[in-house]
Amino acid sequence: MPVDRRILRSLDGHLVLSVCLLVIFGLIAIYSATHNMPGAAGETTSYVKRQAVWTVLGTLLVGVLITFDYRYFGRFSRVLYLGSLLSLVLVAVMGYTSMGAQRWLDLGPIPRWQPSEFVKIALIITLAKHLDQKEKLDSFSDLISPLVHMGLPILLILIQPDLGSCMIYTIICLGMLYMAGATPKHILLLSGGIIGAGALATFLSSMGWLPIIKEYQLKRLMVFINPYAYKHGAGWNVIQSIIAIGSGRFFGKGLFSGTQTQLSFLPSRHTDFIFSVVGEEMGFLGAVSLLGIYFWFLYRCLKTMMEVDNRFGRLLVSGVFFLFLAHLLINVGMCLGLMPITGKTLPFLSYGGSSTLANYAALGILFNVNMRRKKIHF
Amino acid sequence: MKKFSLVTVRKRNAMLLLLFTAIFTIITLKLFYLDVIMGDRLFAWALDQRRGAIPILADRGDILDRNLTPLAVSMSTDAVYAIPAEVEDVAKAAADLAPLLDLDYDWLVERLSRKQRMVWLKLRVDPDTAKKVRELKLDGIDITVRPQRFYPHDQLAAHVIGFAGIENQGLEGLEKQYEQYLKGIDGMLLQERDATGRVIPGAKEQRIAPLDGHDLVLTIDHVIQYIAERELARAVVETQSEAGMILLVQPQTGEILASAVYPTFNPNDYQAVPAEYRRNRIFTDIYEPGSTFKVVTGAAALETGVVTLDETFVDPVHLNKWGGWVNCWRSQGHGVQTFVEATENSCNPVFAILAADRLGPKNFYKYITGFGFGEKTGIDFPGERSGLVPKPGEIKHGELLQWANIGFGQGVAVTALQMAMMVSAIANKGKLMKPRLVKEIRDRNGRVVESFQPEMVRQVISEATAMDFAKVMRSVVVNGSGARGEVPGYRVAGKTGTAQIPAATGGYSDDRVASFIGFAPVDDPQIAGIVVLYKIGVRPAYGGTWAAPVFSAVVGDALEYLGVERLFEEKIPVTPGQVFVPNVVNLPKEEALEMLRKARLEASVTGSGQFVEQQFPKPGAEVPPGTKVHLAFFSDEGDAEMVVVPDVRGTSLRDAAVELGRVGLVIVVEGSGMAKEQVPPPGTLVPKGERVYVKFALPQ
Repeated sequence: MPVDRRILRSLDGHLVLSVCLLVIFGLIAIYSATHNMPGAAGETTSYVKRQAVWTVLGTLLVGVLITFDYRYFGRFSRVLYLGSLLSLVLVAVMGYTSMGAQRWLDLGPIPRWQPSEFVKIALIITLAKHLDQKEKLDSFSDLISPLVHMGLPILLILIQPDLGSCMIYTIICLGMLYMAGATPKHILLLSGGIIGAGALATFLSSMGWLPIIKEYQLKRLMVFINPYAYKHGAGWNVIQSIIAIGSGRFFGKGLFSGTQTQLSFLPSRHTDFIFSVVGEEMGFLGAVSLLGIYFWFLYRCLKTMMEVDNRFGRLLVSGVFFLFLAHLLINVGMCLGLMPITGKTLPFLSYGGSSTLANYAALGILFNVNMRRKKIHF
Repeated sequence: MKKFSLVTVRKRNAMLLLLFTAIFTIITLKLFYLDVIMGDRLFAWALDQRRGAIPILADRGDILDRNLTPLAVSMSTDAVYAIPAEVEDVAKAAADLAPLLDLDYDWLVERLSRKQRMVWLKLRVDPDTAKKVRELKLDGIDITVRPQRFYPHDQLAAHVIGFAGIENQGLEGLEKQYEQYLKGIDGMLLQERDATGRVIPGAKEQRIAPLDGHDLVLTIDHVIQYIAERELARAVVETQSEAGMILLVQPQTGEILASAVYPTFNPNDYQAVPAEYRRNRIFTDIYEPGSTFKVVTGAAALETGVVTLDETFVDPVHLNKWGGWVNCWRSQGHGVQTFVEATENSCNPVFAILAADRLGPKNFYKYITGFGFGEKTGIDFPGERSGLVPKPGEIKHGELLQWANIGFGQGVAVTALQMAMMVSAIANKGKLMKPRLVKEIRDRNGRVVESFQPEMVRQVISEATAMDFAKVMRSVVVNGSGARGEVPGYRVAGKTGTAQIPAATGGYSDDRVASFIGFAPVDDPQIAGIVVLYKIGVRPAYGGTWAAPVFSAVVGDALEYLGVERLFEEKIPVTPGQVFVPNVVNLPKEEALEMLRKARLEASVTGSGQFVEQQFPKPGAEVPPGTKVHLAFFSDEGDAEMVVVPDVRGTSLRDAAVELGRVGLVIVVEGSGMAKEQVPPPGTLVPKGERVYVKFALPQ
């Protein structure tokens, strides 16, 4: 189904341009981070090539997603929601375990993928639909059904365990509740309750009374509090990231010249710590420019939210907005030592299949709503 | 959508803008902090960590005695290290090395897997093992030369030098005190490496040469130190003391010539003994000095003019004056005596009167602190104590009794170092010097980097008073309790002391400290010092009996070694044909009788101890030959218990002393090695307290 040219033309150019810049930033950074890293195929360009392939696939996905009017998305809500829960249950039952957590699904011919990345998108759609149908959200009892709706997938992810995704999901859902009209008091109470429960779980686990939180997660917390005490162990990543960013100083060491990046001091430099690569090689100037582009992009998201004439569309955009904001906060915060290590990616920059495609899916929703934000009279 | 208006949407939208602007601001601020404020430091850090440095260790500086005899030196030993990144097969390397280096396999695996540029696996490896490790040709395992501390004279001056640990760091004593000078600066071999530790091909290698540590030249003379340690070991064993100390000072400079502590240890194997053996008690332990402290009281009293040398005192024997009793140690008292004689007799009531009544707390306190008590001397040694001196007016009731007691050395706590510096001040015309252990610091080429000049703390008493009191102390040796401190020809001045050790429960325990302070020759002092025998195991535990002869032996040998000429004061009797009565106080019975026989005098004996307590006529008196000299002995409790002499032949010095001490006999040591002969022979019935002469010889 071809898209009407007039609809396509009303797509916000700022959004497109900012994302393009982010993608270019990302490909350069990945290339710099991996050009001397032996790839799976033994080829130095394989990482950036594969990322380029995902970018193309992602762009196609966006193209597909914008052909339907987003209002049709709501119709698939039930299927999407049940499918999401099913995939998460499958992960729990037969998922592939890596680094102490069961997050991956290996389904025959399809490359190994992380359902939690896509469930995120499905949840944005289904929660937007659910909230759209709510008459009001003023009292606490109004909140019960949306909380159950979001709580089920979050719980399933919590048992993987994938704390980083939980944080992202929680931020998205609370943000959408806020934009749907829940009172600030309730939002604050919910946030407080979640933080309190987290603190209690941490306490119980660290005392060894209830092993809710795994040991490696506790260690990450300890490292977050004082990375220098674990200089040669768990604190290594954060310290190397801070050294990388700081040693870039104002102008950076230049592309392909970051010693931290090029000499493998920086771990996961093409995925989790891509921001540190930018920081080292492009300096304060490069990092702030990158942040500026994100700011620009997120600002245009907010603008879209203002201009959409219906609640469902607005909720969709708010979900996408919080998705990107949460990723940015958690990832950049981690690289700077402001957040514990959770291994969440930086949208459009980090290398990775599932996350890249998920980002483009979100982008597709955003573009879709943005294009149709105003009624076009034929 | 009635209640949730567009206005609210707008408001909430603005809130979100605010929220994410805040997030961006925080992130930007942190970026600014890292990049701009911390940038240079982090840049240097990045540089540092990729230059995987293999240290080239600096040689630790030597420690030399005042004649440049080495007491502590650096020796090169092999050390095995690993570069974890280059270790191909951790399990194999660990399995190969574990038995060879006598290390735990798991420990090795952990070390070899570290994310560290290099790790030490074993230091001080013998050449054979080093060769075998090399022959294994394991990747990432190598051997480097590492300097290691070695003390060529083993325990000699161990308590002064201290020792350096396995990492070559000064842990105790001067090794610790002068760590900054001794350790030098390690050099390094810089190779650019990546994070996995592999050398970056084509990268530059840079060698930064180490800067070796400086040498210390001590004030200690290793010969005098050796003499002091030899005599101290002998004395501590003979008297079954818990510990002993000797400190010898050059009075004019405050330079310490010898500082001996027993029991001692070998710094090459310092872990073999408990830590308390390694403490230099001379500087770090405090004790109640007892009668040696009368030097302070007497000198202060003379200086302030509250007493004259020939003023006479009647010994009150038991004095109840300040709300408590002060008793003379001799139950019969000392009768009428001049100030000089009271010092010779070490008569407590006289010094109590001088302290409490004549000087008064304030004045007395001024001189006590003037001599350096109650504060650290500032010696260049770690862990020095300041001692305890009460302040005047500190207690309301019984203050005078307190100061009366301090007058004869009870109720103050001092270090042996403070006592030695005090007696040095008397020898040095009243000038208190700051003690020093290091004379100068030299670099590796022998150039003097820093040299320490003698430092006067203060003129405590006038030159005249100091010289007067030196004569009083000389008299203590010639006529009084210090007889055994004399060295023929070296004219020793001294003061004996026998102190009680305060009990943990309050009051005093039965333990005793026997000590002697003095200097020689009296008219041109070359050496001043102190001998302390702590918790002495024999009775009577008098300083004049046990500590004085040690001082005599050490100072005699030391002055001989220093080439000081012996000068005999040949006195000629006024009436021709008459003889002088020798001083036999504190001498053992046989020696006293022998001396009298040589002086052509007869002896009459009362009491039944082993040591002379009093004699009459007094030493120095001119009498016709054949005159009877009355000797009173320490113990007059009737007949002593008889014991059987045990057989100690074939045992070691220490065992022999302990075995004899067990039955109440006292060992007299001759030679060294294993016991060969003993007099009296085993099985003889002798009175308790008798001396047994044991000859030691090295086994063939």
